[in-house]
Amino acid sequence: MKNWKKNVLKWLPMLIWVLVIAVIWEIGASVVDVTKRTPENVLPHLYQIVQAAFSSKPVGSGMTASQLVLSSAGKTLSRAAIGFLIGTISGFIMALIMKLSKIAEKIIFPYLMIIQMIPILGMAPIILSITGDINTSRVVIAAILTFYPVATGTLAGFNAIEREKYDLMYSYAANKLSIYTKVLIPYSIPYFFTGLKIAAPMAITASILVDTLQGDGGLGTLLSQSLKHAMSIYVFWLIVVFGAFVGIFSSKLMGILEWLFTPHKRFRKTGRKETQHDTQTKKREECFSKSS
Amino acid sequence: MIPKRKREKNVLARVHENSRVQAAETFIFPVLFGVLVLILWQNQILHKILHTDTFTLPLPGRILMIMSDNADKILSNVGATVAVAVIGLAAGSVFGYAIAILAALFRKWGAAGLGIVAAFNAIPIVALAPVMTNWTKDVSSDAAMRSMVAKILVVTIVSIANMSFNAFRGLTELKPFAEDLMSSYAASKKETLIKLRIPNSVPYIFTALRVAVPSSVISALVSEYFAEYIVGVGRQIRENIVLAQYASAWAYIVAACLIGIIMYGILMIVEGIVLKKHVKA
Amino acid sequence: MTGIMVKDEREIEIRIKNLGMTFKDNQGNDVEALTGVNLDIYKGEFISLLGPSGCGKTTLLRMVADLLEPTAGSVHIGDRLPREVRLDQKLGIVFQSPVLFDWRTVKKNVELPLEVMKFGKAKRSQISDSMLEMVGLTKFADHYPNQLSGGMQQRVNIARALAVRPELLLMDEPFSSLDEFTKEKLHEDLLQIWKKTNKTVIFVTHNIQEAVFLSDRVCVLSPHPGRLSGIVDVDLPRPRELKVKETAKFNELVSKVRNTFDGGSL
Repeated sequence: MKNWKKNVLKWLPMLIWVLVIAVIWEIGASVVDVTKRTPENVLPHLYQIVQAAFSSKPVGSGMTASQLVLSSAGKTLSRAAIGFLIGTISGFIMALIMKLSKIAEKIIFPYLMIIQMIPILGMAPIILSITGDINTSRVVIAAILTFYPVATGTLAGFNAIEREKYDLMYSYAANKLSIYTKVLIPYSIPYFFTGLKIAAPMAITASILVDTLQGDGGLGTLLSQSLKHAMSIYVFWLIVVFGAFVGIFSSKLMGILEWLFTPHKRFRKTGRKETQHDTQTKKREECFSKSS
Repeated sequence: MIPKRKREKNVLARVHENSRVQAAETFIFPVLFGVLVLILWQNQILHKILHTDTFTLPLPGRILMIMSDNADKILSNVGATVAVAVIGLAAGSVFGYAIAILAALFRKWGAAGLGIVAAFNAIPIVALAPVMTNWTKDVSSDAAMRSMVAKILVVTIVSIANMSFNAFRGLTELKPFAEDLMSSYAASKKETLIKLRIPNSVPYIFTALRVAVPSSVISALVSEYFAEYIVGVGRQIRENIVLAQYASAWAYIVAACLIGIIMYGILMIVEGIVLKKHVKA
Repeated sequence: MTGIMVKDEREIEIRIKNLGMTFKDNQGNDVEALTGVNLDIYKGEFISLLGPSGCGKTTLLRMVADLLEPTAGSVHIGDRLPREVRLDQKLGIVFQSPVLFDWRTVKKNVELPLEVMKFGKAKRSQISDSMLEMVGLTKFADHYPNQLSGGMQQRVNIARALAVRPELLLMDEPFSSLDEFTKEKLHEDLLQIWKKTNKTVIFVTHNIQEAVFLSDRVCVLSPHPGRLSGIVDVDLPRPRELKVKETAKFNELVSKVRNTFDGGSL
């Protein structure tokens, strides 16, 4: 009984915030109702959005609003996922290469920084025209956007290992392969996932953006179409809501994966003074966001 | 100082170990690599690798030519993009910091509130930008002005989340017993805020900016796609590609990269100056 | 000349001859971390290297462990160099901090060196079980390091060092970060383990009482430059119990050690 109460109390502030936001939204929507000609374009009521989601009225190509959104979502998300996967694997490998070879690190590191600084999303149109194929370009952009956080995060993890761990392995006369598989890679897993958490929503955003550039049925295409009133504006709002959810969800999903892969993190004694472990966690997050 | 582990020392290794040589290497290697890529590009070998032609991927020489010929136009577009990015970044950072202060002062509500902000952060720009464009339809009768406002709003929202998280950490992650020290002086909450928390948060502000500066540039560019008025580097890239004017598009791409690099460079310089004097509380 | 020659027929396990370590600091000046150390260590002996920070005791230990190469003199373990012993995977090192891998259970941490040495799964499990039993942590075999207290983590550290059945156990201030109560308990446990396993132990510490309580001999090192000032024989009876710390003899020895320490430059 007590546990149940505790959990509710923990979530109470969050719930209240959500309610507050919903109320503000509704007030905004009512104001808009009165002042605008086509209020749905600006800010529909929440219940209107919900209504559109569940309505069975076909809005285009014989599908309901929800079906339309979900089927296009499938296309967009699957390509985002492929790009994400490619970016993750190549990012990880790049971090390994940079750790294995000082020369590689010196050459590549500034370019990694440059990738962070230049607006890749903004270059989406050009990548599309180079590759010529919308699917490839979607994958390429998602891959590039994922690559950077994963590579820098993992590398930060590799570089954060304390000297003593190396000394220990040295005293066992361990070979390089052992050191990499037993120390470097397991140690960097939390950093790796921090990178993934950042990259996941970005890969999705990139995929949707590429859709808008050239219509072939992804979420972005649907977005532009409904904006131009080729179909009900509620499709647009549904996409916005859906997009938000998917973005949040993808990040949380990475968090869940991380939880699965790091059983040792599940046992945290509470109410202690700060331990070496906590300092390490803080250092990790700092280390990562400095990303250099 | 801990002596290094032993290693075989031949002449090459000894030269390599010299710290001056290492510093030079950090600089030389990437530059050499960059020069190599440029050479491959100019000689069209890059095109063979990527399977494109000089139409879609013009030679560097040609791009430079276009840039110098159209300098005026390019600069005015750059100005539009930079204005959006900088104003949005500034507004977002200020709001974000204010939110962080509120969250630090009202801890329980604040922590949950930040959770909500996190949720907002995950909304893709591509969904945010059109919404903002719609909302600002009545702000002004001038299309240019309307678009500016819409774009700035997008960048602001994107910057708020980032700054508020990092600032919150800066305001609340103090050295152990620092808060106890202040309360032993019977310092008021406000005094603790001003004398302890805010100075402590300065490095964290820069951590936030390191991510926020590039992301504000990206948001500015993306929001230009959805704005009414056709202005800005990002928009120009797209428009030029649609018209198959690739050389101009690339000129704008180079401009976009330069914007990103220069703004980040300025950030690093400022950070260097400010943090030199700064000591964490 | 430093070092005291003891006339007996015990087998000498480690010979340290004229050992020195000079390195360059940040300004490029020569710093003598250690100079002219002569020391013979007997098989099965428990010997301490005692001194304040900066006197070279850790440097000395690291040279025996082949983690550092001396710039002068030599170390021989039996008739082999430290390098050979290390490559033979016969070293047991207990570092100052536990250096446990967070992502491995206690049992898996103890098995780490055995994995590196390519022991089979069953063998590893058997050895790690018996090691954990020796340090009294069998119940915690499947816990993770961050669930354990500092003292328990150090026990895992010791269990792991012993898992490879090393010829030599090198301990670098292993208990310096623990509180007095835990420390005393671990002292007793360590002495019991030592009695059972008969290893040669080189124990680095900055705590005089700890050194006298645990060791057969205490090597006193002094700084500026790091050197061996003297060796004190601790002829207290074994097994040692905590109450020996209250005896006059014990305190005499502590004073003797303190006086052997020579804090200034040569």
